[in-house]
Amino acid sequence: MLTLASTGTALAQPAFEAGPPDRSVIEDAAQRRAEYEARVNEVLNWRASGAMVKTDDPGNLGLAVVACKLALGQDLENCSLSVLKAMEEPGTGPFWMFPSVCVAYLGRESLSPEAQASIRDVWRTTRQLRGDTENHWVMYYASLYLMSELYPNEPAETWYNGLTSEENLAESKAFLIDWMDMTTTIGQGEFNPTHYIGEYAIPMLFLASWSEDPEMRQRGKMMLDWLFAELGNITLNGVMRGPNSRTDEGSVIERWNSLSSYFSWVLFGNTPPTKGYGGWGVYFATVAKNYQVPEVIYRLATDRKEDFVQRDRARIRRRWRYSEELSPPVYKTQYLRDDYAVGSTTGGQLDPIQAHAWDVSWDEPDPRGKHNTMFSLHPNSSSVAMQMSFTAYPEPWIKGVTNEGKPSYDSPDKVVGSSPFEQVFQDLDTVVALYDIPEGTRFPHINGFFSKDLVNITEDESGWIFAQGGQTYLAYRPLAAYHWIPYLHYSGGWAKEKLPIGGQLLTSPHLKNGTIVQAASVDEFANFEAFQDAIHALPLEFNLEPVPTVKMTSLRGKQISFTFGEAPQVNGEAINYANWKLFEGPHLNAEIGGRKLTITHGKLQRVLDFNTLTISDTVTP
Amino acid sequence: MNSLKTFLILIALMASTTISTATPEYDFYICAKVNRDYVIGSKVETVNGVFKRGDDGSWNHQGYNDTTLTAVAFDPRDRNVVYTSANNGLWRSLDGGKHWRICNDWDMTEARHVAVDPNAPDHVYLSLPDGIAVSTDRAQTLVRRENGLPERGKYTQRVTIDRTQAGRVFAACEVGVYLTENGAESWRCVLPTKEMVDDIQQSPHNSDHWLVVTQSAGAWSSQDRGLTWKQIEGVPSSHALYNITFDPTDPQRLAIASWGLGVLTSEDGGKTWQDRNAGLPEPHRVWRVGVDPDGRLYASVHKQTLFYSDDFGRTWQPDTLKGSLVNYFLTLPKLAQ
Amino acid sequence: MNSFKSIKSLGRAFVALAAISLTQAQPSYEAPPPSLEVIQDAGERRAAYLARVNEVYDWRFSRIDAGGPPAKLDLAVITMLLERNQRIEECNQRVIEMMETPGTGPFWMFPSAIVALAGQDKLSAEARASIRKAWRTERQLRGDTENHWTMYHTSLYLMSELYPNEPGETWYTGNSSSDNLKEARGWLIDWMDITTTIGQGEYNPTHYIGEYAIPMLMLATYAKDPEMKQRGHMMLDWLFAELANVTLEGVLRGPNSRTDDSSVLQRWNSLSSFFSWILFGNTPPTAGYGGWGNYFAAIALHYQVPEVIYRIATDRPEDILQHDRARTRRMWRYSDEHMPAIYKTQYLRHDYAVGSHQGRVSDAIQSHVWDVTWREDDPRGKHPTMYSLHPHSSGRVMQMQFSAYPEPMPISVSAEGKPSYDAPDKLVGCSPYEKVYQNLDTVIALYDIKPGERFEQVNGFFSKDLVDLTEDKSGWIFARGGDTYLAYRPLADYHWIPHLEYRQLPSDAGYKWARDSTGSKVLASPHVKNGTIVQAASVSEFATFEDFQKAMIALPLEYSLEPVPTVRLTTLRGKEISFTYGEAPIVDGEALDYTEWKLFGGTHLNAEVGGRKLTITHGRLQRVLDFNTLTISDTVTSGK
Repeated sequence: MLTLASTGTALAQPAFEAGPPDRSVIEDAAQRRAEYEARVNEVLNWRASGAMVKTDDPGNLGLAVVACKLALGQDLENCSLSVLKAMEEPGTGPFWMFPSVCVAYLGRESLSPEAQASIRDVWRTTRQLRGDTENHWVMYYASLYLMSELYPNEPAETWYNGLTSEENLAESKAFLIDWMDMTTTIGQGEFNPTHYIGEYAIPMLFLASWSEDPEMRQRGKMMLDWLFAELGNITLNGVMRGPNSRTDEGSVIERWNSLSSYFSWVLFGNTPPTKGYGGWGVYFATVAKNYQVPEVIYRLATDRKEDFVQRDRARIRRRWRYSEELSPPVYKTQYLRDDYAVGSTTGGQLDPIQAHAWDVSWDEPDPRGKHNTMFSLHPNSSSVAMQMSFTAYPEPWIKGVTNEGKPSYDSPDKVVGSSPFEQVFQDLDTVVALYDIPEGTRFPHINGFFSKDLVNITEDESGWIFAQGGQTYLAYRPLAAYHWIPYLHYSGGWAKEKLPIGGQLLTSPHLKNGTIVQAASVDEFANFEAFQDAIHALPLEFNLEPVPTVKMTSLRGKQISFTFGEAPQVNGEAINYANWKLFEGPHLNAEIGGRKLTITHGKLQRVLDFNTLTISDTVTP
Repeated sequence: MNSLKTFLILIALMASTTISTATPEYDFYICAKVNRDYVIGSKVETVNGVFKRGDDGSWNHQGYNDTTLTAVAFDPRDRNVVYTSANNGLWRSLDGGKHWRICNDWDMTEARHVAVDPNAPDHVYLSLPDGIAVSTDRAQTLVRRENGLPERGKYTQRVTIDRTQAGRVFAACEVGVYLTENGAESWRCVLPTKEMVDDIQQSPHNSDHWLVVTQSAGAWSSQDRGLTWKQIEGVPSSHALYNITFDPTDPQRLAIASWGLGVLTSEDGGKTWQDRNAGLPEPHRVWRVGVDPDGRLYASVHKQTLFYSDDFGRTWQPDTLKGSLVNYFLTLPKLAQ
Repeated sequence: MNSFKSIKSLGRAFVALAAISLTQAQPSYEAPPPSLEVIQDAGERRAAYLARVNEVYDWRFSRIDAGGPPAKLDLAVITMLLERNQRIEECNQRVIEMMETPGTGPFWMFPSAIVALAGQDKLSAEARASIRKAWRTERQLRGDTENHWTMYHTSLYLMSELYPNEPGETWYTGNSSSDNLKEARGWLIDWMDITTTIGQGEYNPTHYIGEYAIPMLMLATYAKDPEMKQRGHMMLDWLFAELANVTLEGVLRGPNSRTDDSSVLQRWNSLSSFFSWILFGNTPPTAGYGGWGNYFAAIALHYQVPEVIYRIATDRPEDILQHDRARTRRMWRYSDEHMPAIYKTQYLRHDYAVGSHQGRVSDAIQSHVWDVTWREDDPRGKHPTMYSLHPHSSGRVMQMQFSAYPEPMPISVSAEGKPSYDAPDKLVGCSPYEKVYQNLDTVIALYDIKPGERFEQVNGFFSKDLVDLTEDKSGWIFARGGDTYLAYRPLADYHWIPHLEYRQLPSDAGYKWARDSTGSKVLASPHVKNGTIVQAASVSEFATFEDFQKAMIALPLEYSLEPVPTVRLTTLRGKEISFTYGEAPIVDGEALDYTEWKLFGGTHLNAEVGGRKLTITHGRLQRVLDFNTLTISDTVTSGK
C-alpha cells in the first residue's frame, strides 16, 4: 500500500491538482449520484489513459489499467493481451488475488477466452498465501469466494489449494461471515485505518457487486455501509481524525495524505483525492457504480450542524501469545467540531508497529501538505510486543519491519506507534496522556509533535506551550523537562533516510511523564491572550511520583482526576469502560454483541441488522 | 566408517517403520526461504520451499514455490505422502508433490510445524500459534486437541514425537513443554517456562534423552523420556536459542542456533560449550543448525545464506543455495531405486 | 368531467405529438421487442435504466428544432432542458410566454410545478416569477377523481414548500403558504393511509398509473421534508411492485379500475407499458413515450426501481397467484358503502395470464372486470385477450360516483373521450348484473340482467389474433392465442358481429370519431340470463389442439339459467366449482369468504388489511414498506 502513496504520473489528475472542493452539502439525490459518478469516471479515465503504465507495450498494461479499461469498455483487444502477459508472472497472496478477480469479473463478457482461461489457470498453478493480517484475510477469502462462484463445480486439482470449487466457497464464506460477525459484535480489529480501509472496502464492494448469492451481496453492501458510516463520522471535511489501528509516518502528521481521503473524496466529494487516486483506490472505482453511499452516511460526513462526541469500542489485533486476552478491547473517544477534532484511545499496547493513540487535529481549508496535528507518544520498540501479534522470532523483527515499510519503527524520534507505558484520557477537547516507562526500556523518553503549520508558538513561564493551528487555539502542557529537536521524516514506507520537512519534536527524557492538551476555537475568545489567560486560570495539580497523576479543571469546566494505572474520574465519578457500547453517539449506535448498527442524521436513520440481513431506512418523526 | 554410522543412525531414526534399511544411504531435505525480503503481495522472484539435496550437493526444489514453509514431514510407509506446515496452514500431497491440498480451515493457520507419528503413520500433528491440531486420517480431517493446554499460552512452536511410543508427543509452547501420552487426548506440563520454548529434540542415540532450547531460559536436558528436566549449564540465557540438534554420528556432539550467540557446539554431551562462529559472517544471527548423517554441520545465517562445516564448526564454507534461510532440516532413508 | 383548459390543449398536443412521432426517431418504439434477459448486475441495470431515460430526452430534444407542431417548447421538454442545464434562455422566454395563459387544474399544475422546482436555481427571476404569478392569478380546479387530487395536492404541497411564508393573497386559494402546505400534506397522507390500509381506488390502471407515479416521484425528488420525500419514494415502490406483479412481459393483465376502448383490447397500448419499459425494459414503450410519461422520464434520474421489484417483473421462475383487495371509486349516493371492496384474483403463467374481480360496479364508466390474455412475442397491434361483459349504460350508476344530474351524463361522457359508453357493442365497462369467479385459469362470469336495462345482451370479445377458432358441437368454442389454448363456453345463444374500433378525427369542436373494422369480432348473446366460462392452458401441456379439446369436453359441466344462472363444473385443474349468481362461489365443497382476503396475499406481495405495510418478495429478496414507521427495509432471507 505505502509505496503507492508516492505514486507519480505525468497525466492530469484534476481533483488532485485543483483547489479543495466546495464543502456545500448537495441536497439533490440525483446530483449527488451524478457527482459521485463523475468522480469515479475521473479515476477510470485517468488510469485507463495510461497513467502509471511502466511500458510502451499496449499489450502489457498491467491489471489496474486493464480493470479500468474493461470498466470503460475500451481497448478490449489489448486488455486481453495484457491479461495474458500479466498471467505469465502472477503474484502471490491477497494483493494479487483481488486484482485478478476484479479483471476476471469485469472481463467475463469482453476478455478473450484465452485471457479468461489464463487467469483461471493461474488460480490452479500458483499457490496463494493468505497473509498474516486481517485485511489480508478479507481480501484473500473474498477473492477465493468470488472465483469459486465464477467457476463452480470444478474439481480439486484445478485449484491451487487442492480443494473443489464448493469446498473453497464454503471455506471462504465461513471466514467472511465469522469476520463480519466479530466486527459487528466486538468491533473492528483494524479500526479507523488510514490506508487499510481500502483493503476492506474493495473486497466488500466486489462481494456486493458480483456474488451470486444474494445473502453475500447483501452482506457486502451492509459492510460497506458499516465501514463508510464510521469513516464519515470520524472525518472532518473528509480528513480522518483521531486514533488509528494502523497508519504510517506520512499520514500521522499530514492527516489528509492517506487512502481514507481518497474514499472521502470519491464517496463524499469533500476533500481532494490523494496522488494517483489512492493507488489501490482505482479498483474501487472499477465497480463503484454498483454502490452509492446512502444519504444518511453522506450527511454524517458533510452536513455537520453541531459538535458531537462518539464513544466506541474496537479490538486490538489478535494476540497469539504473551497476553491474557486474544483481542483486548479498545475504547475510542472522538470529539468533532467545526474547527478541530480530538480523538483518542485509552493508550496501552495497540497494534505493535503502526498504531496511533491520540491527537488533536485542526481543519485546514486545503489540507494538502499541512501537518495539522498535535500529540505525544512514547516511542516504544519492543520485540515482545511484536511476538504477541506475529508468528515470528522476536530478534529479527525490529530490524525486519524497518525494511518492510515501517522505517521509523526502531527510531527514538518516531511519531508512530503505541506503548504499554502510555495511558490516555480524553474529555471533550481536553486530553491527558500519562507515561510510566520502566527502567531499561529501549527509548526512555516521550516525543511531542509540534507542526510546521502552528503559528505563535509560545513557551509560557507557566509551563504551558500555546499555539494556533488554523482556527484552533492549542495549549500543550509537558509534565517534565524537555528540549526541542527538529522533526525528521521518512517520506514513504521504503525510504532509507530521514529528511527535515519542518516541524519539531518536544523530547522529554524522563520515565515518569505526561502531556496535557486543551483545544478551543479561535472564535470562542476575543484574542489569543484571552485564551492563554483562560488556560492559566484553570486549576491544575500534578505529580510524577510514585506514578504520574493529574488533577485539573478543563476549559469546559470538568474536574478531571487521572492517575496512571487507575480509572480516570470526571466530576468525582470514575469512568467505567466496561459499560461502553460498541458505538455510542449522536450518529452511530450499537450494542456489544448486537450485530446491529443504527446510523442517524437528523430525521434520517439507517439500521444495518446482520441478525436478519436487513437494511432499514426510516425517516423519524 | 561414516557409512556404518549412517546405517546405525537410520535404524534408530526409523526404528518402528517398515522402510527397508538395507542401504546406508539417506535423503536430506530442507525447508528454505530463498526469496529475500518477501512481503505479502510482492512477487516471488526465486524458488522457495522444500529442497532435496542431490548426490552432487546441489539442491533440487520439490513441489510448490512457497516462501512460508516451516517444516516438512513424510509418511514413513509412502514417501509420496508429504506434509508441509506453512502460513496457509497444512498442505498435503499424495503424489510426491505433483498436487497439493490445503487440509485446514481458516481458523487453523500460520502453522509452525508438522510431524507424523512413525508408530501411527495416519496420525499427523500440527503446531499452531494458538494450539495444536491433530489428524488421525492422514490430514483428511484436522481437529484441535488441546485438553490440558492453557487457554492462553498455548502458542506452539514445535511438536516432536517420541519414536518409541505411538501417541507420545512433546509440544514446545509459550509457557513450557507439554507432553501427551495418549495421542493428544490430554496434555500436561513437564517443563514450565516464562517465555517461548523454541525447540525440543529426541536423541537418535538414546531415546530417553531429550533436549530443549528456549527464548530466554537457556537450554534444558532430560534423561528420563522428558519427564524431568535440568538446565544445561554453559548455555547462556542471555539470547534466544532457536533450535538444537544432535549429531547422528556422535552422541557427544550437539549444536545450538542462537540469535546473537550464533553457533554453539558441545562435543562432550553438553557438559561444555564452544562458540563456533569463526568464519561465519557477523552479526552472529544463526537461524537454524542441522547435522546430516555424515556428520556435516549446517548453519543457516539470517540475511546471509546457508553454511556448512565438516569439522563441526571449526571452519565454515558457504553452501550453494545462495541467500537461503533454512527453517527445517530433515533426514530420511533413501528410497530403494 | 375533465373540464380543464389544460386537458384540451394537451389533448391537441398529444394528437400532434403522435403525428410528429412518426418523423422523429423513437428507437425502442420502432425497434423489435427488447431482450427479456434478466440483468443480474446492479450497475448494468442502472445503466440500462439511464439509457432508456436518455432515449426519451434525446427524442424530445430532437423535436425541438425539427419544426412542425409543436415547435415550441412544452413544459416537459423545458423540465428536461433544466435538468441538463441547456438552452436556459429559451426556457425562460417560453415559460414566461406560457404563463401568460396558464391552464387550470392538476394537468397544468404538476407540469408547472415541476418546471418551477427543476428551475428553482436555473430559470431567470422573471421566468420563476411568471410561474409564481400564475399560481396567484389562475384558479386551479381540484378535479373529481383520485388521480386529479393526487396531482393537485402534490403540486400545491411542493409549490407551497418552494415559496414558504407567503401570505394568502399571493395564492389562488387565498390561503397562506403554510395553510396550503398543511392542507395538501393532510390530503396526501390521508390518501396514502387509505391506499395502504384498504387498497387503491384506481387499481391496476392502464393509463392513470402515470398520474400517481409522477406526483410521487415529484415528492421523492423535490420535497424538502424528509418524511414526505420518504413517503413519495415508498408509494412509488408500492405502485410499481403491483405493476410488476400484474404484468406479463411488461404488459398489464387482468382487471382495471379504469381503462379505455383501445387498451382493453390491445393490452400493450397503454401508459403502463411505458412504465414497464422505462423501469424494467421488458416491453416496447408506447408512441411518444407515453405522452405524460415524458414528465416521469424528465426526473427519472431521481428514482430507480429496487431489485426485488425489477425481478418480480422480469424474473419468473414460477407461476404467480395473487388474491388482493382494492376499492371501488367513492360512491356519493345510492350505496350502503362509501368505497366497497374489490376482490382481485390474478394468475400469471409463462404463456398467459388470467385476472378478474368479483364483478360489480367499480368505476361507472371505464372499468374492465376480467380477461384471459396471452403472451405475444411482439405485443404491438395485437389483441391478445378474451373476455365477456354486459354493456351497461346507466345515468343512475353515474350518479353514484359523480356530483351531476343523471340525464345528461351518458351523452356527455360519450362526448368527453369515452365514445363507446352508450354503445350496445361496447367492450369496456362493468355492470351491476355481472358476477365473476376465477380459480387459477378458469373463469366463470354469470349475468342476470334486469329486464328493461338499456342493453339486454352480453358481449364476448374474440380477437383477430386467435387461430383455429372452432365452434364445437359440444357448445364450447375453442381457439389458440399465441402459445395458449382457450375454451370459451357461452351459456346462451349468440351471434357474431364485427368489432369496430373508434378512431379519433381531427376536430376543433369536441371529439369526433369514426369506427373501423379491426378483424376481431364480438360474440353477442341477447339474453338477460346468461353466462360465460373460459378455460386456458399452455400449448405445451397438450400433445395437440385436439387433445386440449377432448380434455375440455370430458370435464363434468352442468348449468342452468333459471331462476338465476348457476354453474357446476370440474376445472382442467381438477377443482370442483359451484357458482350461482348472487351466491358465494363454492370450491371443492367450501364456500369462498371474501371477507377473509388480505390487502395483498400471494406469491410476491403480502399485506394485511389496515396494516399500512407491504411485504414484497422475490426468491430470497424482500423489501418491506412500512408506512407506520416510514421505513423501507431490504432483507435477504435465509432461503432455508
